[in-house]
Order: sequence, then structure tokens, then C-alpha cells
Amino acid sequence: MFTRAFRYERAQRYTDACDLLREHGEEAKVIAGGQSLLPMINLGLVQPGLVVDISRLAEGRELTVTGDGYLVLGALVTHARLAADPAARAAQPLLPAAAGQIGNARVRNRGTLGGSLAHADPAAELPLVMVALGATYEVTTGQASREIRAEDFHLGFFTTGLDDDELIVSVRAPVLGPGWGWSFQEVARRDGDFAMASAVALIRSADGLIIESRVAVGGVSDRPLRLADVETALTGCAAADLAGRVGPIQGISPAGDTGASAQYKARLTRVLVTRALAEAAARAEEAA
Amino acid sequence: MSASEIRSSKAEELRVVHQPLPRHDQQEKIAGSTRYAGDLAFSSMLHARLVRAPVPSAKITRRDAATAAAVPGVACVLFGEDVPHNLIWVDVPGQTVEVAALKASMEVLATDRVRFHGEPVALVVADSEEALAEACDLVDIEYEELPGVFDPTEALAPGAPAVHAPGNLLGEWNIDRGAVDEAFAAADVIVEGTYRTQPVDHAYLEPEAGVGWLDDEGVLTLRVATQVVEHYRDVARILGIPDSRVRVIAPYVGGGFGGKEDMTVEPYLALAVWRTRRPVKMQWTRQESLLARPKRHAMLLRYRTAACADGTILGQEVDITADSGAYAYLSALVLLYSSVHACGPYRVGSVRLRARCAYTNNPPTSAFRGFGGMQVVFGYESQMDLLARRLSIPPADIRKRNALARGDVLPVGQPIETEVLLAQTIDAVCDRAGGKPRPSGPRRAVGRGIASNIQSYGRLVWLNDSAAAWVGWQLDGSLTVRCGVPDIGGGQASSLAQIASELLGTPMDRITVHFGDSALTPLAGTTTATRQLLMSGNAVYEACVLLRDGLLGAVAEAAGQPPGGLRLGPGGVTAEGFGMDLREALVICRRRNVPIEALGTFFGPKGKPVVRDLHADRVFPDFTFGTHLCDVEVDLDTGKVRVLRYVAAHDVGRAINPRSVEGQISGAVVQGLGMALLEEVALDDGVNLTGGLFQYLIPASTDVPDIETVVLESGEGMGPFGARGIGEPPIGPPSAAVASAIHDAVGHRPVVLPITPERVLACVDAAGQPG
Amino acid sequence: MSEAATAGGGGMSEAVTVTLVVNGRPVTRAAGAHLTLLRWLRDEAGVTDPKYGCGEGICGACTVLVDGEPVSACIVLAAQVDGAEVTTAAGLLGGDGSLGPLQRAFHEHHAAQCGFCTPGMLMAAAALLSAGRPASREEIRAALHGNLCRCTGYGPIVDAVEAAQTEAAQAEAAQAEAAQAEAAQAEAAQAEAGQREGRR
Repeated sequence: MFTRAFRYERAQRYTDACDLLREHGEEAKVIAGGQSLLPMINLGLVQPGLVVDISRLAEGRELTVTGDGYLVLGALVTHARLAADPAARAAQPLLPAAAGQIGNARVRNRGTLGGSLAHADPAAELPLVMVALGATYEVTTGQASREIRAEDFHLGFFTTGLDDDELIVSVRAPVLGPGWGWSFQEVARRDGDFAMASAVALIRSADGLIIESRVAVGGVSDRPLRLADVETALTGCAAADLAGRVGPIQGISPAGDTGASAQYKARLTRVLVTRALAEAAARAEEAA
Repeated sequence: MSASEIRSSKAEELRVVHQPLPRHDQQEKIAGSTRYAGDLAFSSMLHARLVRAPVPSAKITRRDAATAAAVPGVACVLFGEDVPHNLIWVDVPGQTVEVAALKASMEVLATDRVRFHGEPVALVVADSEEALAEACDLVDIEYEELPGVFDPTEALAPGAPAVHAPGNLLGEWNIDRGAVDEAFAAADVIVEGTYRTQPVDHAYLEPEAGVGWLDDEGVLTLRVATQVVEHYRDVARILGIPDSRVRVIAPYVGGGFGGKEDMTVEPYLALAVWRTRRPVKMQWTRQESLLARPKRHAMLLRYRTAACADGTILGQEVDITADSGAYAYLSALVLLYSSVHACGPYRVGSVRLRARCAYTNNPPTSAFRGFGGMQVVFGYESQMDLLARRLSIPPADIRKRNALARGDVLPVGQPIETEVLLAQTIDAVCDRAGGKPRPSGPRRAVGRGIASNIQSYGRLVWLNDSAAAWVGWQLDGSLTVRCGVPDIGGGQASSLAQIASELLGTPMDRITVHFGDSALTPLAGTTTATRQLLMSGNAVYEACVLLRDGLLGAVAEAAGQPPGGLRLGPGGVTAEGFGMDLREALVICRRRNVPIEALGTFFGPKGKPVVRDLHADRVFPDFTFGTHLCDVEVDLDTGKVRVLRYVAAHDVGRAINPRSVEGQISGAVVQGLGMALLEEVALDDGVNLTGGLFQYLIPASTDVPDIETVVLESGEGMGPFGARGIGEPPIGPPSAAVASAIHDAVGHRPVVLPITPERVLACVDAAGQPG
Repeated sequence: MSEAATAGGGGMSEAVTVTLVVNGRPVTRAAGAHLTLLRWLRDEAGVTDPKYGCGEGICGACTVLVDGEPVSACIVLAAQVDGAEVTTAAGLLGGDGSLGPLQRAFHEHHAAQCGFCTPGMLMAAAALLSAGRPASREEIRAALHGNLCRCTGYGPIVDAVEAAQTEAAQAEAAQAEAAQAEAAQAEAAQAEAGQREGRR
């Protein structure tokens, strides 16, 4: 709030924004919703020389369901819009469910999909869901674009595969296909707080047996983690036996703090994975 | 509709008092036009900011302001040597009479050594926030870290690093009453418990702020968010100028809770104004407030309770160790409160109590709603619950069995002189709550807990407390009240209007209250210790009685009426077959030299100063009693707790404004639930890790249910119209009520606050529930 | 919508000119580009009812409506919302300065004690009410959960919003009834006129 001055430039198009990033290097920071950047500036954690505002780009706002089974979201779609959109809810309910959990209503009115993904907070909802879904992000340098898978994008604590002059343009996530059920579970100290642990499950079943699944956890490592071993263990399993197939979750390294130790978060993760599987399986049953 | 009830046992015909009137201050607040301390701005105003120590225990080896001072826009950079008298003495704030209280001191700006993370070392003053931000980063200060101590028990052990010479024991209180060892030997059952409470932040919505300037007479004027205008004396002392040359104005405060009882921005603002001769504004950041403002004392409480099989308590042994942090502030008094309140609202037979507070290199601790009387509720009510279980006596019954009554004597030696409605508050919450709800699903458990408490109102009697208020009629019959009371949101100012309106008949919309100005309003002392209704309320009461009696006497003479028959009300002066307009009566007063303005002074009860071995026949003026009931649902797999239902009952004597009373109870309960379940200042060897509100979790609207209140009115309080204080008492029971409810739900008791989901799971595991 | 201003040459400077319509009044200022909407409103436009409580976007004391949507003014740059309509608590007042209906409900239900959270709380509530769907007490609590209060315990605030909601619904129903009655009257009058015509 009571910070040093910085310069401001509003970009009209992605190409302008990327040019500015190239020109100004490290002292430039991108602002879309600003709901992550401005708190950090206010707290003195970040001191940019230049802020490049992409919140008013003409591009980056689409929300469409393609004919070949994908939901395409522009990077500037706000969390509020995603949470409330009926087409998104029908196509891939996991996404609006996760977006609706973010922060509070004010944060959701300004915060953007691209901003959340690029910020890469390990406890954030949207990176977790994208990794679980196997989504891909389209990123641009203004001159060229490339696609990058979510699990290759989120590399560590607030660290992504974006080059310094790249911006996310859109996200492509698979729609919820027939026979699939979903679940999003998180536990925080209060509504809207960052989760102590979170879990996402997608299950496809037939005749009460699991055919395939995608399971991922958030907030318990430096990035969202797919639980490949859990997925393997579930294949062919009966929905009724699910709980028994979930042991202590491997590969996670939760950070303990005053309110919750690492051991508690690990235990919580197992509980949430179990609940996510049960809910996803139940929804898969209904979908059948 | 939030359900609330009022049950009065002594009905009085009150016209204005006891009405749930909307408060006159609320209109402006709701319109958004109230100007809080940070809302005022002057042209050519400077800004001030502190540079604070980044480590908890260190020698300062170097201080250099040259680079910072060279930043364009910087007016000055001050160190401790620039402060005329670089000491803040900790007398008891706001006292009108010097008392021989524990004197301990701290520097305004540290020169040689810092003792806590966040201690102020330099003051930077500049013409913009931007220049300040740049300059503060450039103040060159070097530290050489020293060993520190971060736990009060360790601090009291031999060989601990000394935070202050000669040692870390700051204060000690003992109570010995009766034959404790015999009581324990004769007991059928002994219950032991060790309880820990955590450091808690006030987290008022308004971070510390203020503006200062020199007025046309050169009087240094500070308009600051404060609970105490009498700090003008402390500021004067620091600057070495006469008390009469400093003025403190308290606007409406955005929450205090004791956190704005000690000085906050005052000394720094004053220094900046005095040095630059220009208006200066100081706005602390939330992060700064969380870092460095004094906290609630963390306490280690050890209880042993001896009882008969029928539940009668025979003896209590209590050991309290409290963390005073790096500087004394009000710690010794907080611990005194803890000692006096430590056995709760019960007859407990023999008592042995040892209470000590120790310096550590943690953030300092000081006043916070409940002031030591709050933490001990967790101790004594947990013990009552354990006793009830051990003896298979219902929790309500065991409390009623031991409840204090008029005439009983507290362990410290003070007899209870007013009626105690504790049993009625217990019945009220139990009746209201009805049956326990069922769990909402599998792997959920529901539990119920009750907790009762006692909390004093009014200051320690040996502080010779007093308050004054001036009430005067305008010639058109409207009324002016002037009183130094700061209004921190509890309706302090509007209560005075209600009292005046009741006595003098003036309608509320024709009464103006000017408050909180050390130069222009009679001093009324601090808005703390749940004392203002008692003190300034009674002062206004006295002034109004003087005015009323004077006016009626003058009218009686002039009109040839029998004096006893005259009444003063909204219609003026009336009697059987007689009536006179108020304005006419005022003219008569002025013709007959009868004053139409009066100063009322109320002197609090007196007593002798207490010494370490506590025994006094009077410590506090009086007490407020209450009981709370809480239903919780526990998620047995995650440990998350949902508060389903909360009922709170207190005897408030008389509710001057019932809506204000309900609001105080509701707000205090939610603050108490925050301490019970969510809040903790995160310290790691003295380093305060609490970086912001994203980490310091206070209850939001979805974390608490509607707080149902039952207000009992015994009419037995010492405040005007028989009122008792209600600001602090309701914050005490929530931790204990929640802990007991969780115990009921899962079969094992949490004994450390806050009760995090992890701690709940530990209880679930301990009780042997399937995990 | 204005471009970044150039004060003293160069394509980018630290100053921008921002125009906002604040409570119906257009305000244009050239000020530091780094100013949050909160600082801009308070220091540049002299609108001090949104408060600084944390700078993190968490406490809600700075809540204002930007083009009808609630935002945390402390974590939005004024420059980002250049051209928008901003509403603060003062903007809920009637034309004569009297309290608006939501504010009256707050007043009657003692929903303010220290009052510091109140301007932000009002805007959050106003946003909820403008959505038009009747909300239960739980839904009201959920809508307000991003606005912290340390004094009231929230119950009186929920009471106030519930009462305002009921009053608004009743006012709407009364309006609808009146409009219907008017329309029916007009229809009847037309029919009568038609009949008279027919008789000629």
C-alpha cells in the first residue's frame, strides 16, 4: 500500500505485452487481476520498476466448448466468470467447482485463470485441477506460440516453464466424458483460505468397476502431484473397495507450519484422496 | 433474527435507558462519514514511519542515517539520542493519581540493544509515503545477535539469558488461604490438568494511526486511535515539555480491545511534529501491527483440584507462568487479574496459588480484553468439566453446587457483595439450548460443553480511579455533555447520552456528546477494564442529578410549588396541576444564580495497594457472572470443528442499551472463539513469522453461528441504574466451552490453544476412535 | 479510457491520468501509477469511507463496487480501472444525504459498533442484494465471509442484510402490484372508451 513508485504501461495486445517484457527484463512484472502481485507489492516482497497491465487485452477472454471434446478458456477469464458459467459447469464441472473455492468474492471478480496458473502457488486450486485433467496451456512470445502440458508447466514453488517474455494465452482442458465422475476436496482452516491439502479425482467406471482414473493432490509438495501409483492400484477395483486401496500417500513433502504439521497434512491428504475417490466414483455411477 | 432475550428481576420504569435505541454514532459510521484517526489530512503534511529491529535479541553496533536522510523529500531521521527523554515509563495508564505501581521502562527508540523482533530503532519523516519507503530501506543499522530466551519457564531457570537486569522475573503473586495440604489429603478425588494458552493479537480492523500538529498556540496536538487520552502526560514527559502543552484527541476508534491502551503512534508522531514543526501523519501497516504490537499473554496453567464425592470443591492449587515478552507494559497487573480470577466463580475452600510472569525475547504482552481473567477460564472450567466427569455429576450441577453467593469470599479475600445469578445463567443456557443435535453424517461426532466465568469490571480499587463529566443545558433546552471517555465502538459515548436523557428528560436527538479530548473534556480515564459505564456513566449521572435538583429547586421556589412534587421529563417540569416549559425553567435558574451546567465526578471504590502475597478485602469494585453453552460437530477424519450453536447468558445488572449489550456479548464470544480455534501469533525463537492476515486467522462470518444471548438483569451492579460491565466478561468462556464440547464429542480433551484440527485429531486418536 | 500520461517526455512515466466516476461524480487526477484504487480514492479523490485494513485484500475494509462488482480497492491499481464507475458506502445515501434502505437496516439492527468494517461490509451486502435472488441466512453469511468484523460477531449484520432483503422484496412486490393495478385500470379505461366508440 505504502510502496515505492513504479511505472505503468497498459498493453493492447499480447504482442505489445511481450515486447515490453523483452525490453525491460527483470524489472517488469505482468499484472492481470493483480490479486497475487499487488499483495506482494504491498507487503514489500516485490518491487517492480514497471508493471505491464494486460487486464484490458482484447484477446484472452474466450470460454468455448469445442466439437472434439475440449473446453477452451482464455487466460483472462476471471475466477468468478468460470465459477458461474453454465457451459463450463456442464462441460467440465471440476473447473467451476475449483474456481469457486478461490479466496473470496472480490478476489474472484478480478483474479484470472492465467494469473493463477502463472503464479503457481503450490496450494492453488486451478493448477491442481489442470494437472489432474491433463490440460495444456497455449503460451506466446508475441511472435510465436507453443503448447505446454500442465504437468510440465508447474515446476516448483512459484516456478513455471514460462520464459521471461512468455504469457499464457489460453488453456485447453478435456470435458468430462461419458462414464466419468469427478470430485474436488480441500480442507482449509477457514472458507477460502489456502488449503492445508487438496485432492482431485476423476474416475471412469462401468458396472461398478474402475476402468481408469486420474488422481492428483495439491498443497503438499512444491507443485500439484499426479498420484500414478494410486491410479494404477485402482484399475479394475470395485467402487466399494476404494477406501481400502488408499494407503499413506507417497511422494509428497508437505511443509509444516504453526497451525498444521507435515505429518498432519500427510494424514489429511490420505483422507482427502479417499473422499475424492468415493465422491468421484459415486458420480461416475450416476453418470452411467 | 438473532435470538436474544432479556430477563429482568428488578423492574424499573425507565423511559430511555433500557431501550434498544439505535446509537447516534452509528448513523455517521454507516453513512461512511466518520473520520477515524487515519482519515484526516492536512496540506503540507509529512509522513512518519519506524524502522524496526529484524531480530529478537541483539546489540546495536552501528546506526547511520546519512544515506536515508539524503533521499529527496526526507525531513529527518531520528535515533534514540534525538529524543529528549528516551524512556516510556509504564505507570498504569490514565490514572488521575500517582500510584506506586511497578515501574519499568523501555526506550522510545532503542539505542544500544533490542529485545524483540520489531522493536523501534529509528523514526523517518518525509513528505511522501514513497520517499519514506525508499528512505526506510536505506537507514543503515547493524546488529550483533545475542542469545535470547523464548519461553517463560526457561527464562525463570538459572542461567537463562537476562532480558533485563537483574533477571527475568518481572512479577509474582501468591495466594495462600486455608489449609491446602489437609484439604487435598481429605479429598475423595483430585483432578490435575496442565493447560497452555497462546499469544493472540487484537487484530482490530483499524491498524494504528494518527495525525499530529502544532495548534495556533503551539500546543502539540495528537489526534490518534487510542483508548486513553491521558497519554498526553507521557508524551509531555518524553519531550520534556509541560503536560499542559500537549493535547490528545481520541476520535472514534476502529476497535481497541486493549491494544490501543498503551501508547502506539503517540510518542513517534509527537517527536516528528516537535522536530519538524509541521503536521505529520503516521499510519502503521497491518503487518507492522501484527509484528510489534503487544499481544495477549501466553500462559502455562497448572491446576490441581480436590473435591468430595458429592462435588464440593475442597481446595485448589494453581500455578501460572506467563510470558511478559521483552518489556513489562502492564504484565504485572495482568497477572494480578489472573491470580484473583484463577479459581473462577466458585467457593473453592483452601487455595494455594503461585503466579509469575517472566521477561522473554518474544513480542511484549499487555492489555487485551479480559486482561488475564480470560486465560484462567480455560484452566478452571476445564477442571470443572474433568471433575464432573470423574464424579459422574452433570456439568451444570457441579457448577451450581459450588457457585459463589453473596457473602462468600474470593480466595484473595474480597467478599462478594452483590447477588450472584450464576445458577440462573446456567439454567438459561441449558433451557435455551434444548437437546443436543445429531451428527450430520458418518465419521462426524457432536458434543456439547458449558463454561461459566467471573470477570471484574471497574479498575483495581487501589488505583484510586475516578472519572469526571460535564453536563450543561443550552438555553434552547438542548443538552451538551463533555466527557474525556474514548469511544472504541462499545457505545461508550451514546450510553452517556442515554443516561442524561433518562434523568433530564431531554430527547436523545437534542443531546450532543463531545468526548475524548484531553484539553477540552473532563478526564474520565481509560476505556478499558470494562470501567467506563461504571465510571463516566456514574459521573454523568451525578452531574445530571445536580442539574435536575438545582432546576427543580429553583422552579419550586419561583412557582410556589412543593419541591417534592415536581418532575423533570420530556415535557419540561410537571406536577399535579402544573406545568412549565424547560426553557422557562432555565430562565428562572439563571435569574436565581442556579447553575445550568454541572461537573460530576465519580470516585471509584478505594482499597489498599496489594503486595505480592495477595490478601485484600477489596481488589475490584464488582464482578460480572455468566455461562456459555456450545455445541460442536467434529469431523473425525480431518479434525475440523464446526460450531453449530452458541448460547451466552450474563447478568448485566441493567442493560442501558439492550442492543449494545447483545452486540458486546456477540462480538466478545466470536473473538473468544477465534482464540479457541484459529488464532496464534506464530513465533520461532522470538522471530515473529505472522506475516499478515493471510496467516493470522480471525473468525469470518462463516466460521461462527448466530450467537444467541440471554441477558439477565439483577439490578445489582454498581453502575448507573444498577448496571454491571459487559465489555470483557463474555470473552472468557468460549475456549473452555469449545474444549468441553470437543471432549464430549470425541472422548478426550484438548488442553492447548488454539484447538487446531491437528490437535483435535490427536484427541480422537487418544480416545481410541477408529482413525 | 486514457493512455498512460507522459509527464516530462518519454513513453512511460510514473504518473497516469485516471478518471473515475465516484458515487456519480466524475473525478480526474494525474497521480502516481503505483497508486492502488484505495489510495487514489482516499488521497486523490478525498473519499475516505473505504478503509485501509491490511493491504492484502483479505479484511474487506476497502471493498468498493467497480462497475457494480465488489473488489478489494487495496489490490487494484487505479490505472487498471480507469473509466469505471466506483461506488462506496457514501454512494448508498439518498439524494438528501439520508441513509439508503440497506444503511437504514444496518442502523436499526446495530450492525455497526466501531464502524471500521462497515463501509466495506455495506458494499459486499449491496452487491449481494443487487443480484436479486433471495438469500438465506447461510447464503448471506457466505456472501459476507470475505469481510472481517472484530466487534459485532456478525449476527447483527446478517440480521440487517436479511431485513433489507425482505424490505426490498416487499417494495418490489408492492411496485409490481401497483404497476399491475395501473395497467388494469388503463385497460379498463381503454375498453370503456372502445365501448363508447362502439355505441356512437
